[in-house]
Amino acid sequence: MNKSDTRLKRIMTAPFSVWMAIFVIVPIGLVLYYAFTSSEGGFTLENIASIWEYRGTYLISIELALVATVICLLMAYPLAYSISKMKARRQQTMVLLVMLPMWMNFLIRTYAWMTILEDTGLINTFIKFLLSLVGYEFEGFTMINTNGAIVLGMVYNFLPYMVLPIYTVLTKIDRSVIEAARDLGAGGMDVFTRVILPQSVPGIISGITMVFVPAVSTFVISKLLGGGMTYLIGDIIENYFLGNTGEVNYNVGAALSLVLMVLILISMGIMNHFDEDAETNGGGLF
Amino acid sequence: MANNIIDLKNISVSFDGEQILKNMNLRIEDKEFLTLLGPSGCGKTTTLRIIAGFLQPDSGDVIFDGKLINGVPAHKRQVNTIFQRYALFTHLNVFENIAFGLRIRKTPEKEIKTAVSEMLELVNLKGFETRDINSLSGGQQQRVAIARALVVKPRVLLLDEPLGALDLKLRKDMQNELKNIQQRLGITFIYVTHDQEEALSMSDKIVVMNNGEIQQIGTPIDIYNEPVNAFVADFIGESNIVDGIMREDFVVDFSGNTFKCLDKGFGKNEAVDVVVRPEDVDVVPYDEGMLKGTVTSVTFKGVHFEIIVDIGGFKWMIQSTDEQFVGDNIGLYIEPDAIHIMKKSEYSGLYGDFSSYSEEFDELSNADAEEEENE
Ligand SMILES: Nc1ncnc2c1ncn2[C@@H]1O[C@H](COP(=O)(O)OP(=O)(O)O)[C@@H](O)[C@H]1O
Ligand SMILES: [Mg+2]
Repeated sequence: MNKSDTRLKRIMTAPFSVWMAIFVIVPIGLVLYYAFTSSEGGFTLENIASIWEYRGTYLISIELALVATVICLLMAYPLAYSISKMKARRQQTMVLLVMLPMWMNFLIRTYAWMTILEDTGLINTFIKFLLSLVGYEFEGFTMINTNGAIVLGMVYNFLPYMVLPIYTVLTKIDRSVIEAARDLGAGGMDVFTRVILPQSVPGIISGITMVFVPAVSTFVISKLLGGGMTYLIGDIIENYFLGNTGEVNYNVGAALSLVLMVLILISMGIMNHFDEDAETNGGGLF
Repeated sequence: MANNIIDLKNISVSFDGEQILKNMNLRIEDKEFLTLLGPSGCGKTTTLRIIAGFLQPDSGDVIFDGKLINGVPAHKRQVNTIFQRYALFTHLNVFENIAFGLRIRKTPEKEIKTAVSEMLELVNLKGFETRDINSLSGGQQQRVAIARALVVKPRVLLLDEPLGALDLKLRKDMQNELKNIQQRLGITFIYVTHDQEEALSMSDKIVVMNNGEIQQIGTPIDIYNEPVNAFVADFIGESNIVDGIMREDFVVDFSGNTFKCLDKGFGKNEAVDVVVRPEDVDVVPYDEGMLKGTVTSVTFKGVHFEIIVDIGGFKWMIQSTDEQFVGDNIGLYIEPDAIHIMKKSEYSGLYGDFSSYSEEFDELSNADAEEEENE
């Protein structure tokens, strides 16, 4: 590589570097600054220390995000696998269908679930109607404002982010590698567990990352489908920055964000440990 | 009677309405080194896939060791394959790649260790156990692929252009090694290549294919010396192929002259194709020549000169260690045993005239030849 090459590279990457500096580095700097200063501006560890109060919220956030991620994975893998086995034309259609919901606004999609899950929503109305036909009075299920509804919202919103990376790695697996396995005596199950599954690990890691991170930090889903019954850490952070429920406090808000960021980084680190190759995929996000 | 390990009977295969293999019949003897040779797209890989079990023929029988195995899936056949692009397991290291087949068979760990290290020794990769597949060179990957297939002790090894991606020097070395391995293990190799030199130097038996049909089956010497038609004569080595008339047994007319030959059994005055190999033609003074012509091109090839001679409008290629010069009038002398007579076939007239020679060969001599022709 010669000098003009490196110069060209620098010029080409300049817009991105500037973008990164303004919208990633500076905000992180600000978060760090606010997290370690008091409202008067002096250095303090009080904000960080005050977070202990929210350990339960962190736990429930991580728990719900984990459940959603696992459900996404269990649903997405078989789906991605069967799509990758279809004829080329059908594959395109199926991928389009998977992505279709993403064309609609996130909020609208989530509001839609409200009207479906509500006590007087679509599902309950329908069941009540059916039971009334046989002369039975039914009060309806409580679905909205539960943890289940939050998890459902997460799974629904983030499922495509699990399907697509897994589908992509599955289609990239060389057909002749699968044939080589069969050639060496592997039946269908052995081919899957010894070749296809291990070779799709980078896609799985990518998918887990892309589902877990937005799920653990969401505040919209919990607000709309949790109805304030369950606060997730995203809600708490939002409250501190916007003052919805009390005073505005950037310092505690920043400290909460910082800890969340560190927790996410740690879990990504653990994930990538499972597969060094993932650095080019999921790991690259960070 | 030799023992056939594989017998292909009336195999036909079509893709998208196009017939790729046309009623193919092939017997493969146990422990032989058999090569499928033919131009790209002639159906070599398809033939291997049928034997390996990755493809079911539209019609015809695949018989292995006397038993019909048409419906037997690939993973239950005693046949292993070296794929065109190795197809190694990139998520496993060298040891685990080779151990793959044994693990499937639930071989005890101790035996796996012994077998893998034996294989690594066989393919000269000792000490590579924990190496990552992606860190290996093409030649080393090829060796892993060979070890991986051989460790499960196949009766037949299928090799699909295994050396195609290697450079010339390495290819020669690997040719020798493969031949050694085959002889040492005493198993059947079915080897696919489009490289005629490779086929000639390695094989016990060569099957020349074109357009999904077997053209000729024979030993390398048979195929080279006694090609059955113009396609085979042209594909295996260089050939001058001219129209001739068989006057009677051992006498043939071509290029306006009568020649003695060693061939017989043709009809009186039957039209035939006459093959003369470039290295079998002697250059003699103009007056003493059985054929007379003008040199139109000379290319130095190292061991010999490649000389194109215009004889009555038909361009002959001859190879001679004596240099000739463009524009020289020379005579050619052909011994009776240098002449090979073939029956007319669908390929008659398509091959063996070196007028279009420049297009078939490498660009360097191409440029030379064109310059000469423009003069
Ligand atoms: N799965 C397939 N679908 C359609 N055509 C195929 C398929 N496999 C091979 N062919 C066609 O069959 C012909 C022979 O292919 P192949 O056996 O791979 O040739 P070779 O190995 O001699 O180069 C080619 O024209 C190729 O395009
Ligand atoms: Mg091929």
